[in-house]
Amino acid sequence: MTTSQNVKLKLPKLGRASLAERKARKGWLFVLPFIIGFILVYLPIIIDSVCFSFMTVEIKLDQQGYSYTEVVSHGLEFYREMFGDSDFTKRLGQGIGQLLWEVPAIVIFALFVAVILNQKMLGRAVFRAIFFVPVILSTGLLESLTANSIAGEGGVDDGSGESATDGLVSAMDLQGLFGMMAIGGDLVKKIVELVNHVYDIITFSGVQMLIFLAGLQSISPAIYEAARIDGASAWETFWKITFPMISPMILVNGIYTIIDSFTRNNNTVMKFIGEVYDNESQSLATAEYWVYFMIIFAIVAAFGGIVSAYVFYQRRD
Amino acid sequence: MDNQQTNRTAPAGNAIITKRGVKMDFEGKIPFKQRLIMRLTSSTFWIDRVWYLFRFILLLGISFVILNPFLEKILTSFMPLSDFSNTQVNMIPTRISFNIYVKLAQYWHYLKILRNTLVLSGLTALLQTFVTCMIGYGLAKFRFRGNKLVLVLVIVTMAIPHSTLKLSLFQHFGEFDFFAIQATNSAGLLERMFGHTLRLTNSYWPFVILSGTGLAFKNGLYIFMMRQFFHGVPDELEESAYVDGSGTFRTFFTIILPLSIPMMITIFLFAFSWQWTDSFYTNLFFSSSGSIGLMPDLIKSPPPALQINNIAVADPYYKAIKNAGGLMIILPLLGVFLFCQRYLVQGIERSGIVG
Repeated sequence: MTTSQNVKLKLPKLGRASLAERKARKGWLFVLPFIIGFILVYLPIIIDSVCFSFMTVEIKLDQQGYSYTEVVSHGLEFYREMFGDSDFTKRLGQGIGQLLWEVPAIVIFALFVAVILNQKMLGRAVFRAIFFVPVILSTGLLESLTANSIAGEGGVDDGSGESATDGLVSAMDLQGLFGMMAIGGDLVKKIVELVNHVYDIITFSGVQMLIFLAGLQSISPAIYEAARIDGASAWETFWKITFPMISPMILVNGIYTIIDSFTRNNNTVMKFIGEVYDNESQSLATAEYWVYFMIIFAIVAAFGGIVSAYVFYQRRD
Repeated sequence: MDNQQTNRTAPAGNAIITKRGVKMDFEGKIPFKQRLIMRLTSSTFWIDRVWYLFRFILLLGISFVILNPFLEKILTSFMPLSDFSNTQVNMIPTRISFNIYVKLAQYWHYLKILRNTLVLSGLTALLQTFVTCMIGYGLAKFRFRGNKLVLVLVIVTMAIPHSTLKLSLFQHFGEFDFFAIQATNSAGLLERMFGHTLRLTNSYWPFVILSGTGLAFKNGLYIFMMRQFFHGVPDELEESAYVDGSGTFRTFFTIILPLSIPMMITIFLFAFSWQWTDSFYTNLFFSSSGSIGLMPDLIKSPPPALQINNIAVADPYYKAIKNAGGLMIILPLLGVFLFCQRYLVQGIERSGIVG
């Protein structure tokens, strides 16, 4: 009895502000691993990498077999060289143009599939497992599996870059299909392109689909129940409940899709930089990486700024 | 009193208590034929059926698109060597031969690399799941100074492809030190204190350090995911726990973590499968030796037992071997996924608060 009275007496001293402050300080404990890692390990790696874009470095081995580096400074030479390269800037423009339709398409498709795979149905586990396959392959580390087949013809390639047109359907097949109709060759080409992008969208939306699926689990079934009792249709339920509740994950997936499609190994710019890295100069490639990264980050920031204004969080702010 | 009232208003029937809840049994009241007609004439019944059919066909079609590239690869991996030189054989093997699989498994010691990869992937995935969950929670629920800055840094780590940092990563873990900038030759904390750096390549330490600090492959995505998820969790939950005398960390472990199981399962699956198929980091950190033996070894150059001299056949045959190796990598992952996806089900009340 007496102790609880003591506690009660002490409480007013703390005050609301200081309690909130103390709580806020505890937040640091949660993010501490990241802060430590970022400052002590990651930041030097980044600084080094930026420095390498201004200089060439050769790794040599001394007598003990330990590596040491020799540094030659080049100043802004690589940056000047990069922007003088019209190939690089052209590819950059192409990549950004592709993004404008790819990101919404992937996010919408992933949400659609996630909503379907969240429903009860026959063979749901099998379907989910199949949709998990693109996630495994999304890192591009098992490229040999999705790369073209043994005979070098037929089969779906991973829809990457230039080879996409000999993918799912060939232009010839569709030409046969549309040949009877009076449709111009350009239109057939467009349709082939579209169909092949369908394959791209399916294989690139595996990760987003799983994220949405996880997001859908966290929506309380009681809300759906309440809506059903009030007579809401499935359509209304989706737009009034599922969509707002999943909107935080839409922001995640939008940003992830932008970053993913920019940094994917088979992205035209990444491929280009990779070739520069292997064949020309590692420092030039690093410089190009950093300029590229700045552009990605600017786009992500713009997207995040716009979308986060519309995201709904189920908490009072 | 209550029971009697509900009985009067609802159609009469016997309540049967089953595992899933209470079912009303109307068998005795409405004849079967009449019930069937009522069902078949209702519009919702048919709309539902059409939707089910449409849904099934759609999923089947998309599954076909995903699996199509594998079909030929699976078939050719079962071909005996003679089929590759036989021009009449197209896709379908003349007989099923497990030669490639057996030889691959023997040469690379499949069980050993399975165990190695399982340990490495399992540990890093668990560590990453827990750490990113914690960081995400800290970012979502605490308004400390610099919160927004940390979030921006997280997205920065997400946006910088690690292939950009290849060279630096290799150097920094070859001569590991805290805050050492090698380009300017400034020494780090370890070198200043102990006079030497640590050589962490060819060990698991780079993986542990990167995972433990939320900096490993795509961890920025996981942190951002968790942050968004926790940001949507009502504060009332924690407040009621605080009122009941639970501390911050206890609340996190006992109230918040159970809520986020679907999220954590998803992150675990990502981290696990990406570590499982990873060759970028393992090649980077185990550059001087292939000694530990991990799953991606299977798609390296074919083992001597499968080498052939016939140049005409060699190319497709080696590709088939590679495909077989790839399939051997993927199959265990699908097993792990099938096990985990059982926890990705809706219908469990997790939030405890409505609206």
